[in-house]
Amino acid sequence: MREIESYTMNFGPQHPAAHGVLRLVLEMDGEVIYKADPHVGLLHRGTEKLAESKPYNQSIGYMDRLDYVSMMCNEHGYVMAIEKLLGLSVPIRAQYIRVLFDEATRILNHLMWLGAHGLDIGAMTMFLYCFREREDLMDAYEAVSGTRMHATYYRPGGVYRDLPLQMPQYKPSKWRNEKEVARLNEARRGSLLDFMWDFTERFPERIDEYETLLTDNRIWKQRTVNIGVVTPEEAMALGFTGPMLRGSGVEWDLRKKQPYEVYDQVKFDIPVGVNGDCYDRYLVRMEEMRQSNLIMRQCIEWLRDNPGPVMADDHKIVPPEREEMKDDMEALIHHFKLFTEGYTVPEGEAYAAVEAPKGEFGVYMISDGANKPFRVKVRAPGFAHIAAMDFMVRGHMLADVVAVIGTMDIVFGEIDR
Amino acid sequence: MSDDQVTIEVDGISLPAKKGQMVMEVTDDAGIYIPRFCYHAKLSVAANCRMCLVEVEKAPKPLPACATPVAEGMKISTKSPAAIAAQRATMEFLLINHPLDCPICDQGGECELQDLAMGYGRDISRYNEGKRVVADKDIGPLVSTDMTRCIHCTRCVRFTEEIAGFQELGTMGRGEDMKIGTYVEKAVNHELSGNIIDLCPVGALNSKPFRYRARAWEMIQQATVSPHDSFGSNMFAHVKQGRLMRVVPQPNDEINETWLSDRDRFSYDGIYSTDRVIKPLLRIDGEFRETEWSTVLEQVSDRLQQTDAAKIGFLSSPGATVEESFLLQRIARGLGTNNIDHRLQARDLGDSDNDPVQPHIGTDIVSLESADAIAVIGSDLRREVPMLAHRVRKAALAGATVSFINPPGQQYQFSHQYLATELTQLRAALGALIGAAEVATGKIAPDSVAQRVDRQSHDETHRAVAESLAQGERSHILLGHLAQRHPAFTQIRALASVLADMTGATIGFIPESANAAGASLVGVLPHRGAGGEPVATPGLNARQMLADALDAYVLFGFEPEVDTVEGAQAVETLRNANFVVVMSPWLSEQALEYADVILPIGTFAETAGTYVNLEGRWQSFSGVATPVGEARPGWKVLRVLANYLHLDAFDYNDALEVTVAAREAVPVELQDYRIGPMPSMDGADFGDDLMPAPISLYGSDSLVRRSRPLQRTPLARGVGES
Amino acid sequence: MSAHGLTDMSMIRNWSKTLLLTELRSGLAVTLRNMLRPKVTVRYPEEKTPQSPRFRGLHAQRRYPNGEERCIACKLCEAVCPALAITIESDMRDDGTRRTTRYDIDLFKCIYCGFCEEACPVDAIVETRIHEYHMENRGENIMTKDKLLAVGDRYEAMIAADKAADSQYR
Repeated sequence: MREIESYTMNFGPQHPAAHGVLRLVLEMDGEVIYKADPHVGLLHRGTEKLAESKPYNQSIGYMDRLDYVSMMCNEHGYVMAIEKLLGLSVPIRAQYIRVLFDEATRILNHLMWLGAHGLDIGAMTMFLYCFREREDLMDAYEAVSGTRMHATYYRPGGVYRDLPLQMPQYKPSKWRNEKEVARLNEARRGSLLDFMWDFTERFPERIDEYETLLTDNRIWKQRTVNIGVVTPEEAMALGFTGPMLRGSGVEWDLRKKQPYEVYDQVKFDIPVGVNGDCYDRYLVRMEEMRQSNLIMRQCIEWLRDNPGPVMADDHKIVPPEREEMKDDMEALIHHFKLFTEGYTVPEGEAYAAVEAPKGEFGVYMISDGANKPFRVKVRAPGFAHIAAMDFMVRGHMLADVVAVIGTMDIVFGEIDR
Repeated sequence: MSDDQVTIEVDGISLPAKKGQMVMEVTDDAGIYIPRFCYHAKLSVAANCRMCLVEVEKAPKPLPACATPVAEGMKISTKSPAAIAAQRATMEFLLINHPLDCPICDQGGECELQDLAMGYGRDISRYNEGKRVVADKDIGPLVSTDMTRCIHCTRCVRFTEEIAGFQELGTMGRGEDMKIGTYVEKAVNHELSGNIIDLCPVGALNSKPFRYRARAWEMIQQATVSPHDSFGSNMFAHVKQGRLMRVVPQPNDEINETWLSDRDRFSYDGIYSTDRVIKPLLRIDGEFRETEWSTVLEQVSDRLQQTDAAKIGFLSSPGATVEESFLLQRIARGLGTNNIDHRLQARDLGDSDNDPVQPHIGTDIVSLESADAIAVIGSDLRREVPMLAHRVRKAALAGATVSFINPPGQQYQFSHQYLATELTQLRAALGALIGAAEVATGKIAPDSVAQRVDRQSHDETHRAVAESLAQGERSHILLGHLAQRHPAFTQIRALASVLADMTGATIGFIPESANAAGASLVGVLPHRGAGGEPVATPGLNARQMLADALDAYVLFGFEPEVDTVEGAQAVETLRNANFVVVMSPWLSEQALEYADVILPIGTFAETAGTYVNLEGRWQSFSGVATPVGEARPGWKVLRVLANYLHLDAFDYNDALEVTVAAREAVPVELQDYRIGPMPSMDGADFGDDLMPAPISLYGSDSLVRRSRPLQRTPLARGVGES
Repeated sequence: MSAHGLTDMSMIRNWSKTLLLTELRSGLAVTLRNMLRPKVTVRYPEEKTPQSPRFRGLHAQRRYPNGEERCIACKLCEAVCPALAITIESDMRDDGTRRTTRYDIDLFKCIYCGFCEEACPVDAIVETRIHEYHMENRGENIMTKDKLLAVGDRYEAMIAADKAADSQYR
């Protein structure tokens, strides 16, 4: 019988642990991987090119669909690049709203990651718990933007609408009596801010529960400790950002290092890991959720006390209010032109980056002075991470590949764009 | 630097300027944009919109750039705070009375008011009072009015006064009560009236046929060339999803400037008329059946091959493209016949050796404007080629003496000499003119025409016409369509040549339809092949072919019942023929009677092609719209038909290859017309019944006849002309 | 953050935990706690979770109270639609007003961004809260003008209430 020395195995793109459409070509020697070749492009939709063919505002919705578990953060990077080119300043209230929802998005993303990561390596219930908490934040997304995921809420100059003062409520049905409905509506009696405040009250306790289930769990540790170790130097050399970088002990966070919006006004810490393995990255993300919760609370408190405009007052860029549009000639013309041609952006180039849940999400934009970008380049954090796949899994077992994919928090929307 | 040069400084850039120029002209040339509504480079300066206010150093107030003459050392700032404030204030005033119509206004998206409001106005209004309302006017089927939207720039008023030449639109009232009106609320009766649509910077005047049909941003703009007259106006076709939605002028200072005649602008409606043929039709047992192209073409080629070549007649429209004409004559000659002609309206086809190889006006369009004298003979210029009439008018305004030797009743809005001559007397009038020219020049007319020279009956006007031609250094004689359709055309041509020789004028022809020049050049003639090469045995000309029935006919792109000299006779002849192939985009009722096969070809909008205009300019264009139904571009149909006929060298892959082949077959040089041996001057007078019908502005070709908006105009109905 | 290399101490702790089933117990405690909590799930479709008045679902075209359709074929929605999902053809209606002769929204192309509603100067095209719809045959994804108006007619009360609730923010 001939002895097989090595063989090639396709991992994905239909594998449930492949996080979407990842196709990994693994060269294996028994259970041990000595080469991993990630293939990209199966979810390529040409977002960057598409953005070059339409007025600036029309691409906001497509940014949601890049990293589709951290929607508003992608929008944020995009509108910030436009604002940079336009030299447009954003009202302070809009900045707080953006920070509030960036952090809510971070929690959404990390919950999704935690659930899926847990599911991948054997902690089934995590998935259900995480989705329970996600539901509240999804409701907040819906209340503010009208959709639970693809918000199209951030606009150059601010955010589209102010936060609603009322939350939609459960209605009695044959399955639930008044009392039960009242309990369900308890958190919904006030405004959206009250609803989110209620969430921040409950959430740290929930994180404790997750940690009870995982942090000291021996199976969890066996699957993550010392898996996919990356030293700080390697992490930087590989272009890691976000928790992937901080998990290796590098204290780098755009929210601190180059604060945008009102991140310099809020207090929070950035957790870093020590060993740079999957377990440390897990711990970093768990702590990030707690910090995000803190930031949300600070934002909510500020927003409660400080009403004000949420959009810039420059109607050469921001469409006028509907009331004005309906009985005001100048406003109608501006409305008409902004919704057909859009605005023109001065010639120039800009790079704007936000600390997205997965790392540095940046948009590099060149304007030739027209009403649509000459070039848009999206810097997706996941792309640099997946490029390190081979480096991280080499020498590990096949089962560890799943852990590494999980720890990278891969979403193909942003990688393939 | 010469005396009339000055230097001014605009926004810190020093610019050379000529004395007497307005600031706006200088900045426009330099590419510095100053906002404007009322200023238009082709119209006089009104300075009543006040949008172009700029700050001039040492002037106490901002000045309008369009009406401020340059002066040495002038320092102008177009973007200083004072200038911007003035522009912003003007914009605010203009919008005070503007209705909130953008969503339902066709101008929305291509509106100068919107653009400048975005660029120079406030973003939120401070005006909360009521707005004024102005009643709309019905000014005909071509131009829609929403007078509340008017900002009183008076471009339309100045256009009708200065370009059309009479006062139909004017301003009434002042201030808040100012209105634009037609004095007697009558339709704007001018063949160029559609241009006020382009001129109007807001949505007050819009295209009526286009009303509410599409938005500017939905359409693709494609360049094309006018198919209706030999002027070759450049146009843009605006196409939405393959359908031609409207036509606007393509500015070209050498041809149509920024204007377009109504015929060119509104004829597109006919492309989508209900009688378009959408599939090839084949007569089977007396009934027309829709049939596949391959079947029909096979049938046609079989029948043509079975017919004696000498018994086949090819008749082509003078509006067919160069490509179509070239291929058609190649097919005719490939089959072995010279029975091919495009001169459908000509009554006198004798003396064809003296025909110009390429009929043209003997000069170019731009030079015509600086002519000293122009004599237009046998023409209804405004109806034949409206844009040429406009150029002649410009020449007259620039000082040229313009004379008309035309049937009575035509009106021209400039000073001119009018020798009202019934068509029956046209020969005699030329004889008298030659008599007058003898007096004016002291030369004696050659004996060959002596028979027709009339030395007695010339009067004041004859002498003035002859003198103006003789004295002018740049004198032009133009023979119009009426002359060319005259039963004594060859004699008129000879007499006009003599007159031109004596007075030193050039002689030119106004070619019929869009491409008579091209058709002549590529040899759609019984006596000449491509490039004017005489053929050994000339075939039958159009009149001969339509007088007695041949066995088979191929008719390309025209309707014999209206487009030939004797329509009824032509239909009768065709009915007696064995086999008649009609290639036409439309199915006319008479065609049902005589045609055996109807092949749907594309209109000008659906085919690539080339037209040769009246100054000899070759202008190629590509198909802009998707052909209706299964219609196919004419050149393709002919090419495939030739393949079915097994003719050699018909392997063209695209229209351009045909164009190149046609171009190679014809001479490049344009030649001045010189008449050869004089034709006989014998012949009795013709009666009125033999004379060509009056020129019909909106009956000139099949497409125009099917354009509903044009047919609804008073000009089409022949009433209320001015 | 602790180092998690296995020292002697931690070996002992590990053993004891194994012996006492500590992790199992604490995990089951979490499970038990959650079992006793009220359920968060709802019995869809009889029971539904609340929806925001801002919800962007199926499109509808509205009418004025007198029954006249609002849409004036200005085509701002068509122009602003990032996905090119809207197709409009317009012409003059017999009474001389500007109206659409065709108004199609391709639900497969639509990305539900809400720009059409933002653009509409007369509140004609709106996105409703309806999200439970389906198609069975090819071609049903095209919402024609008639279908849009029918949706609008049927849910006008809800649409009007939603728009009124949100009007103060827009």
